[in-house]
Amino acid sequence: MTRRRAAVVGVAAVALLVLIARYFVWIDLGARCVIGIRPSLVGYDNTTVKRALETLRHGSPEDYRKVCAHVATINPNPSCGGFGGGCFWHAEGNRGRASIDVSTEHGLIWTLAILVHETCHAVQYHEGRPPRFDLEQECYAEDDRILRALVQFE
Amino acid sequence: MIRWAIVALVVLAVLWAWLRAFAWFDPLALCRIHIDVELLEGDRGPIRAAIATVRREDPPAYRALCHWVDRIQEERQCDAGDPQADARVRRGAGAPLDPALVRARAAPGCYVRGSRVIVLRRPPEGGGDPALARERAEALKRLARYSQAFWIDRLR
Repeated sequence: MTRRRAAVVGVAAVALLVLIARYFVWIDLGARCVIGIRPSLVGYDNTTVKRALETLRHGSPEDYRKVCAHVATINPNPSCGGFGGGCFWHAEGNRGRASIDVSTEHGLIWTLAILVHETCHAVQYHEGRPPRFDLEQECYAEDDRILRALVQFE
Repeated sequence: MIRWAIVALVVLAVLWAWLRAFAWFDPLALCRIHIDVELLEGDRGPIRAAIATVRREDPPAYRALCHWVDRIQEERQCDAGDPQADARVRRGAGAPLDPALVRARAAPGCYVRGSRVIVLRRPPEGGGDPALARERAEALKRLARYSQAFWIDRLR
């Protein structure tokens, strides 16, 4: 390989790493927290998810610790929750740190709320509670709590 | 030599346009605040006008805005709670909305604690009137101070 070609490959590799680090992974070494963020196919910005994680880290460290402990991957694409919603699947693959679906369509405030809501379902699942509609009440209360705690308007 | 000067000028012009295109950019005050609006319908102009008003009228608030806020987002409304936490709402039974949520939705903007983000409520159709500009300028002054208070409190 010529020196010129090696330089080109090196620059491309660095650019790829920067791209991945910026859009597809959340890394917080201090909190030993690494979360993957899947590519978004609908054009919404993956950085909204990262902004929500950053906001939670400073605004509600306890909730942030729960996300880090129970969530391995965030899928920002609209799924069963539709546009503006989120989802958690009671599936064998989510026994360990889980994958959650979080739509970012409605901006930072709702991304935060959905993140906390779906993490609540991951916690329920990891605690061995079966999927029942009643469990929604607890998680709606959780996202309501985080919105009331963090959104300051007066 | 002249060729390099032209290249440098072009690079500077592109950089300037890039820094300014999606943001409020005031290099003399070392101030750049990203402005997020609806992709197709959004207009950054009124938000820039509100920031300019803050700069003109209240320099300390402008400094707080530049230092403690890095993004202004225009959204449908500020939601300071989830109405679906009330099971009656989820069942579609209809229930009066919590007055705090109503006030938040009617507010011109809000600050999200833990971030450096201010959310401004999207104006109604054709809402480019001076009263709205005034309301937004006042909201920016107040919300910038909320962000300042949050971060200074954390540093203590």
